[in-house]
Amino acid sequence: MNCPRLKSWFLERYNFDEIRDLAKQKLVPIHKYEIWYLTGGITLFLFIIQFITGMVLSFYYIPYFEHAHKSIIEIVTKLNMGWFFRSLHHWGAQIAIVVLFIHVWSCLLLKAYRKPREFLWFSGFILLGISIFFGLSGYLLLWDERAFAAVRVATGGAGNLPVVGEFIKAFLRGGIDVTGDTLTRFYAFHVSVLPLVTILLIGFHILLVQYHGMSVPLSVKKEECKETPFFPNLLYKDLIIWLVVLGIVVTLATLVPPEIGKKADPLAPAPENIKPEWYFLFLFQTLKLFPGEILGMNGETIAILLITAGILFFFLIPFFDRKSQRGEKSTLFTWIGVIYFLYFVIMTVIGFVS
Amino acid sequence: MKRMLTALIGMFISAADVFAQQDKIDVFPAVPYDRFIVYQNLIIFWAGIIGLIVIIKMKLREIERTQKLGIDKEEKDIPVLD
Repeated sequence: MNCPRLKSWFLERYNFDEIRDLAKQKLVPIHKYEIWYLTGGITLFLFIIQFITGMVLSFYYIPYFEHAHKSIIEIVTKLNMGWFFRSLHHWGAQIAIVVLFIHVWSCLLLKAYRKPREFLWFSGFILLGISIFFGLSGYLLLWDERAFAAVRVATGGAGNLPVVGEFIKAFLRGGIDVTGDTLTRFYAFHVSVLPLVTILLIGFHILLVQYHGMSVPLSVKKEECKETPFFPNLLYKDLIIWLVVLGIVVTLATLVPPEIGKKADPLAPAPENIKPEWYFLFLFQTLKLFPGEILGMNGETIAILLITAGILFFFLIPFFDRKSQRGEKSTLFTWIGVIYFLYFVIMTVIGFVS
Repeated sequence: MKRMLTALIGMFISAADVFAQQDKIDVFPAVPYDRFIVYQNLIIFWAGIIGLIVIIKMKLREIERTQKLGIDKEEKDIPVLD
């Protein structure tokens, strides 16, 4: 399609050559670990899928506790392709969190957080936290008995934090217990607060990537490292991997559509063998390891404190890893990353199997 | 007696509602023909994806070839014919 008049109309107003030159000037290092650069792009692509499918679902979802569950059943059973969009949203979220975890760990093991990219690490880590909260808030919107019980456990766990715990619990629940108010609140988080914060943070994250450029691992020598233009070389590679990911998400959405449980009943006891979503399993399993009381103190509070300290250490790693800051190899922090990874995987598997 | 009977009938009707509830909600088209269409479309979708990947890969290879030869850069101050 060639529209010279339309083209000249735009060219009179915008200098596309300048933008094209700018895109061509951006260079990306190529080395044996370059495949990990793609995980950031995949996450962005999955976020876009989530935004689109989420918008479609929000046209029909009713965020009121009496109608929420029924509205989802109607989306799935009565709307044309409704089951597919819901399934796509579900699997898109699951894979987005998997890829985000891989992205975070790859950055940790390749020491991509080192000076001057500390804020890239912080913004990425906060995005991971937001994505998990996206998952939790979206899970409750189903308003089935499993989601209800899982959110009750998760928000109850937050309540065990000393000093601020009760406030966080009440803020999340919108009251003493999980009720219809919690559903309304979680819906507001899921469709307005979290997307807005996510867009701002993604913008900030991408801006920082452009500003600092891609991080090159310490083990890759400068003379060995070549550079390739981002446009079109890396963009085409991104497109290929995005298409593969789209295929995987669509296949999972078609072959394994998520089930819908019975409508939540706040007065009914929690169903047996209740488990949270897979990305909370390691926390759930850790809490199980602790006895009810340790030295006269609440065991769960101690567990929550230790987990918080562990997450905080992970978050502040750029400040602790002094060797990487100086541009030296830091084997200790590689091992710390490996231990964190193994702990997460083992606890998740145990939680899944038990 | 009449009240008791009405209450009893009401109870049975409520109990029937429990049995009438579906155990599992269909989260996928239940009609075999619809299922067939879905699976067929999934295969076509994958064929499209593979085709697109092949096209992009060919395009990328061509770009890399021209970059290697150094003929991808536009010459500055090139005379314009118009």
